[in-house]
Amino acid sequence: MRLEPLVNPSRYRVLWVTLAAVGVAFVIAGGLFAAYGLNPLEAYRTMLTGTLFDPKGIQETLRRSIPLLLIGVGLTLAFRTQFFNIGAEGQLLVGAVFAAGVALFWPLPPVLSLPGMVLAGALGGALWCLIAAWLKSRLSVNEILTTLMLNYVAQSLVIFLINGPWKGKDARGYIYSDRFAEYQQIAVFPGTNVHWPTLLLGVLLALALQFVLNRTTVGFQMRVVGENPGAARYAGISSARVLLWIALITGGAAGLAGVGEIAGIHHRLIEPMQLSSGYGFTAIIVAWLARGNPALVLLSAPLMGLILAGGDLLKVSLNMPFRVVDVFSGVMLMCLIGSEIFLRNRVRWGR
Amino acid sequence: MGKSWLVSIVAALGLSFGMAQQTNLKACFIYVGPVGDVGWTFAHDEARRAAEKAIPGLQTQFVESVKPADTLATVDRLVSGGCNVIFTTSFDFMDQTLEAAKKYPDVIFAHASGFKRAPNMLTYMADFYQIYYLNGLMAGALTRSGKVGYVGAFPIPELKRHISAFALGVRAVNPRATVNVKWINAWFDPVKAREAAEALMAEGNDILAFTEDTASVIQTAARRKIPSFSHYNSMYRFAPDYVVSGQIVDWGVLYIDLLRKIQNGTYTTKNLQNVDYWWLAREKAVMLGAQTGMPINPKFEAALKRATMTVNGKRMSVYDRVMELNKDIMSANPKWDPFTGPIRDRNGVIRVPAGRRMTIKELNEMQWMAPGVVGQVPDEPK
Amino acid sequence: MEEILNALARAFSFGTPLLIACLGAIINERAGVVNLGVEGMMALGALAGFAVAFGSGLGDGNLWLALLAAMLAGALAALLHGFVTISLRANQFVSGLALTMLGLGVAGLLGKRFEGQPLFNQPPEWPFTLGAIGLAALLAFVFYATKIGLSLRSVGENPAAADLLGINVLLVRYAAVAAGGSLAGLAGAYLSLVYRPSWTDGMTGGLGWIAVALVVFVGWSPLRAVFGAVFFGLLYYLQFRLQGQGGIPSEVFASLPYILVILVLALSGLRRQQGNAPEALGRPYQRGER
Repeated sequence: MRLEPLVNPSRYRVLWVTLAAVGVAFVIAGGLFAAYGLNPLEAYRTMLTGTLFDPKGIQETLRRSIPLLLIGVGLTLAFRTQFFNIGAEGQLLVGAVFAAGVALFWPLPPVLSLPGMVLAGALGGALWCLIAAWLKSRLSVNEILTTLMLNYVAQSLVIFLINGPWKGKDARGYIYSDRFAEYQQIAVFPGTNVHWPTLLLGVLLALALQFVLNRTTVGFQMRVVGENPGAARYAGISSARVLLWIALITGGAAGLAGVGEIAGIHHRLIEPMQLSSGYGFTAIIVAWLARGNPALVLLSAPLMGLILAGGDLLKVSLNMPFRVVDVFSGVMLMCLIGSEIFLRNRVRWGR
Repeated sequence: MGKSWLVSIVAALGLSFGMAQQTNLKACFIYVGPVGDVGWTFAHDEARRAAEKAIPGLQTQFVESVKPADTLATVDRLVSGGCNVIFTTSFDFMDQTLEAAKKYPDVIFAHASGFKRAPNMLTYMADFYQIYYLNGLMAGALTRSGKVGYVGAFPIPELKRHISAFALGVRAVNPRATVNVKWINAWFDPVKAREAAEALMAEGNDILAFTEDTASVIQTAARRKIPSFSHYNSMYRFAPDYVVSGQIVDWGVLYIDLLRKIQNGTYTTKNLQNVDYWWLAREKAVMLGAQTGMPINPKFEAALKRATMTVNGKRMSVYDRVMELNKDIMSANPKWDPFTGPIRDRNGVIRVPAGRRMTIKELNEMQWMAPGVVGQVPDEPK
Repeated sequence: MEEILNALARAFSFGTPLLIACLGAIINERAGVVNLGVEGMMALGALAGFAVAFGSGLGDGNLWLALLAAMLAGALAALLHGFVTISLRANQFVSGLALTMLGLGVAGLLGKRFEGQPLFNQPPEWPFTLGAIGLAALLAFVFYATKIGLSLRSVGENPAAADLLGINVLLVRYAAVAAGGSLAGLAGAYLSLVYRPSWTDGMTGGLGWIAVALVVFVGWSPLRAVFGAVFFGLLYYLQFRLQGQGGIPSEVFASLPYILVILVLALSGLRRQQGNAPEALGRPYQRGER
């Protein structure tokens, strides 16, 4: 068996390789479920019927997809330009902090309050990401480490605020901020936690960024920097400036996800471990699934949302440990990146 | 596949037609952590199993490691699965439980450790503060350095009343002793708990107690041959030579009582607005002990019998005092309470006037710290 | 004086798992393969070690067996990463992330039954600390004074040239990745058998990530790794020792270790020390491609 390079893989090939990888992931994860002592077919049946064929399951999938969509879109762009931001979790938290700051301490007129929170949240996430981008472009500090370390710092920041200066007056000594006013909360579909304006924002962002990437000069520069840094230098593209843009976009999008979580669901700033459900890490898979195309996140985010919602279902119906979602995500990601070689190469049997 | 659909439809119909006679009681539990930990969630799950055994016809179900954001969705699932009583076992679930109670007026909700209620939502708590005082007496008797260490999760009212009661106990035996607190800002983090315990020992604390969800403090202290107090469950097995005593919870008695009253119609979805279980040693929801059935580790009995203290002008051994108070708080009408005035906070402000006891509301919102507590408290009233 | 000794003792005790895992990561990174999955491999090692020690009746003699199991678990997980990144030439960073999720997930799933069970034979910590320091010295020697070390480094610096010299690049990389994984597993076993003898899900608490960061921090040098690990161990301990001093919020001390690591990385960036990174780090090797 040998591999023969392909110059331009067809879309058809991308599709079937991706589907095959997802299929293999389901088989491997099924094996692990069996090792735990659970019939994998039953597990998958529970996951599918409870999510796709059940209105509540669809709601849950949507709710889980919102932060994944926002963060995933940003990360897709970041990975495409070789900026390995794994600190979306921290950027989400800082976005939430900025939004909460505006909500709690900036007496804006009610109409402007929520837009102000959204802008502040995006700004917060962007600034947090900018630290890592600046260190990378100026001092060539590895962004994987800085973004990761900044996650811990962001957690401490949130705890500091709700433990001390921002501790709510209605909190009776517990550690969270005061509740946001009615007009500072993002609308939801009645009776659910699906904050649809955030969802809409995510969809628009995905489409807009796809447009930027394909049709604008900045997008062109991003593509060149990602695919061929040498050529970029030759063409006079400042990779530092591109990096700056990327950091603003990817961090800002994660910050928006933070705004969605606190203004759409919690309505106050709460303990960091309870605020996000590890969306910053799950979104890495979402971004990888999209293979560098922000618009494709519109498909990959709901898929991971489905897996998260399905994992919850396994917890509820079959009493599986909560780690089942990690197993699933890990196997899925491993299979996806392992399959990439089959995108760029054709397999030939024989010598 | 078709079958489970049918079941859920039937259950949903049953609910929407009103379950006046709740003959088929299905109690569901939403946990904040994994059932396998040795702390909070483990204790709730033990109680769930006890309730299932004790009440004929009771069905139960649980979901572990639920985030507050996922509470409402989890409730949705449980209700469509036929649950008619739902326990949310963490303070973090408070707002979401209230929301769920409004969404499902025909389901009874019970929220642990919170303060918001509704006609179909009650609150409950089993609290340790009296037990912590007894532990404090023993710590005061056993410390040689006069410094007792305490690893705390977060500076919230629950911990403040535990630490303060503990410190009041320590000072009742040894008026100059201090209780030194280190926060780890996490309920579950074995590494932080160990290093915090190490720091406390390095500062000369020779007895340790804690409120967080691992047995790290006990194991760390034992390594340096330092006695410690177990928290929440029987942790005696982690260091049989060094666990002096501790606090043990039994949510089972509370759950069984509550579920029986729901079953016989005492509690309905209309009359829970003022139902707040605040259960202590009297109700047997909490008890003193290194493990169940062992109030004090026999290895420390002699030392505690030798140590003496003055109570109302009389000398008596610390051991006798602990036993006396333990008997009192377990009796039907306890005469004694650690937070009986006059009590000043550590800044000298009088917090409980003479002749008065702290109310449940005051205990639930406690922000000050008792004298003898050393450590940072961000929101301490001045 | 006693205070200083005490702090140092803590720094070494807490620094030991960091050092072991960091040395492992140095081995595979020196061969050109980044493995961000240290946290996951540590979790698997912690579980495997504990399971063997617990299952084999808590005896003393079984400590070795438990450590061996932990190393094996770590190595197996690392070989998965190796297969995906070396043979299938996938992105090493993302594969490492996947390994983290997978390791934590599988350990959490299979470790359920061991939760809340204590181990009574608490082995002393110092032999592990001394062993780790000895290993650092040994690695430094191997890297710079032996033929194996030269092969390893050349595979990480210039795999094409190494290939021309007749070194089997893929084999060396596989071996380095397996060695790195086995040390990560050992670091996990230190946590579950020695540092805090019990198993709970999530007990690795992010130490694996810190070990990965330390590799860059110490410039891929095994000897400097000793100081890096002890330095971080000291900072981590001091966040509790200093808590409550001078009215500074505890959260400031809690985030200090991470902020300092970033600062030091930035400083070494200022002094252009990033040049220590193996030239071919993170890049898959394919014959005939430059």
